[in-house]
Amino acid sequence: MTRAPGKTARLNRLFNPKDGRAVCVAADHGWMSDVTPNVMELRRILELVVRGGADGILISFGTAVRHGHLLRGKDSPAMLIRADWMNMPRLGASNVSNVLPVVNFKKMATSRARDALHMGASAITIYYFIGYGDEFEALNIEQAADFAKECRKVGLPLIIEPMAVGGMVTGVNIAEILIASGRIAAEIGADALKIPYTGDVKTFKELVDQAGVPVLVLGGAKSDVPRDALELVDEALRAGASGTVFGRNVTKAKDPQKMVADICALVHGGKTIAEILGEHRAVGQRLKPVPAQCIGCQLCEVACVRAHTPGYGQTRARLRVETPSLGEELKPHRPVVCTLCGQCADACATGALTIAPEARLVLQRSLCSQCGACVDACPFHLIFVEDGYPVVCDLCDGDPECVKWCKRGAIVLTEWKRRVRHVHAE
Amino acid sequence: MEIDIGKTIRISDFVHAADGRALLLDTTLPGSIGAVPGLEHTAEALAEVTDIVDGLIVNPGQAEHHAEFLGGRHRASPLVRVDWTNAFRGQDFCLPATEFRHLFISDAEDALALGASAAVASLFLGFDDEAEARNIEALSHLARECTRLALPLVVDIRPIGYKVGPSNFEESVKLGLSFMQELGADVLIIPPCSQGTCATIGGWIAVPVLVRMEEFPEAAHIDAFLAAGLRGFVLGEKVFARERYAERLEVLARQVHQRSSSDDARAR
Ligand code: SF4
Repeated sequence: MTRAPGKTARLNRLFNPKDGRAVCVAADHGWMSDVTPNVMELRRILELVVRGGADGILISFGTAVRHGHLLRGKDSPAMLIRADWMNMPRLGASNVSNVLPVVNFKKMATSRARDALHMGASAITIYYFIGYGDEFEALNIEQAADFAKECRKVGLPLIIEPMAVGGMVTGVNIAEILIASGRIAAEIGADALKIPYTGDVKTFKELVDQAGVPVLVLGGAKSDVPRDALELVDEALRAGASGTVFGRNVTKAKDPQKMVADICALVHGGKTIAEILGEHRAVGQRLKPVPAQCIGCQLCEVACVRAHTPGYGQTRARLRVETPSLGEELKPHRPVVCTLCGQCADACATGALTIAPEARLVLQRSLCSQCGACVDACPFHLIFVEDGYPVVCDLCDGDPECVKWCKRGAIVLTEWKRRVRHVHAE
Repeated sequence: MEIDIGKTIRISDFVHAADGRALLLDTTLPGSIGAVPGLEHTAEALAEVTDIVDGLIVNPGQAEHHAEFLGGRHRASPLVRVDWTNAFRGQDFCLPATEFRHLFISDAEDALALGASAAVASLFLGFDDEAEARNIEALSHLARECTRLALPLVVDIRPIGYKVGPSNFEESVKLGLSFMQELGADVLIIPPCSQGTCATIGGWIAVPVLVRMEEFPEAAHIDAFLAAGLRGFVLGEKVFARERYAERLEVLARQVHQRSSSDDARAR
């Protein structure tokens, strides 16, 4: 790939020349969304991220002024600067705070590429929203094109972040939209993409192949358990991604340094998730949701109740489908299933609730003291109580009805690895 | 005396000085709708055709990323598309367009820095009056900038708006040609028209006019268009999905440049 020398030199700082990959951390949330600990304790977190071995850190201009000195030194992460601003998290449709709701989706170019260059940046990052309406997309394209022109002129790499959001984006078409938007961004002049995972390896591979520029997968909302975040990285790498730009999954982790080091071990070190988390070998299968495929029909809930309980009533399902409510049009449908994370079993002090060797949650009623600790411990809020005892997903003896009934493949079976210890207790 | 030697030299990068003809390939549709069949991998596609055609119309990003396949004496010259539209997003696209949008993603200076032999932009006809006026205004500014920088301007005339139908299609093409010649375009691209219209255009327009074909043209059509005074072809992205497209392009290139009959060119 031919590029101006300025761009090449700066991309070489971001992507490790040995493997062409990069582990970046997005720490620009205070510029657009939630004033949470990851924003208020930014300096401490940035120090940990640097120590964790990140290749790049995405920050705002203000953070660059205040904390940019943390990135001094040849081995330090490359500084990526966010050159635009948007209010999407405050539209009432994201998992972050919404203290000051807004009605109209706005996105502004807030600086010039040369400002970032003078600040010492190795690249700038900007959004490209697609799916919210033709006029809004055209504005995004126009701003992206302006940045692309200036970046070419000054030799600064441009990382475009396509985001498929809006009323026309559904679980059915989101992967296709992301694939198209990645290529459109490259045609306009992106040197790399920061883009959400499409939901499965096959479609993400298509995205990577067709983009023709390095693709960095973003982490999105904070995962319930670190393993989920690492699995996303693993799948993206298998699809050909060049690395990651994880934000809240790092900055909100209990130990950001360890989380970055774990991602680096996966991206650069060739380690497996099992090796990183110190897990035993696989002993079975577990459920895995594929939100991009979900159309919210709730057939899985019906199938679950039908398989376990006489009569009907979706409230007794051992999984649920989260559907966007009014005013939350940007949120996708999402099946929430038991992923055998083991937190309920760990919380059970009597040993009544365990994960059996064949990868099933098993309750021994005789041992159960009905304390409810497992109900509280379930990060997905899937365990409910009936006759005083917890009801958990039993995977239908290895042949789950929800998987069989969901014709869209929004719930699938995937390899389950027995964990022997928790590395990242949240 | 040649008063605009810069433009003359750059035009001759893709319109043969000897015969005044050109064969170009357009690869820019993925800028609007993502990858299309045959153009999933830009580098592979460019590598296969760059020594066959005279010019390749590319988006700025691809011009930058794949410059090694473009320009010089043995490769197709880069013609950089400086505009973007959602007009080609049909109902079969995952996100169909509901309102026409057209904007500029590059400019003459940027295109020149990318090594372009010309800037390419579209004139859309048949959408609402406001859109047309803005299109003309932007193209005029581009034309002035191209003149200042001695960069040829190629205007791609696209009568595809809701106001255009079979009854006024060819008149719309002529109207677009008239506007763009007056504006100062150096090369024009039109959709295929009837023999009569082509003859009128060939005898009237003072700058090279190329015909945009979505598929490989039939032998008879090639001869007819060239005989009418049109100067060659721009093949659209669909041809990349066709079997043996590079071979067929070689045949077409000979037909365009050697003024031989179509049968002779195929036999060679
Ligand atoms: S309710 Fe029963 S199964 Fe759940 S934690 Fe308490 S003892 Fe264990």
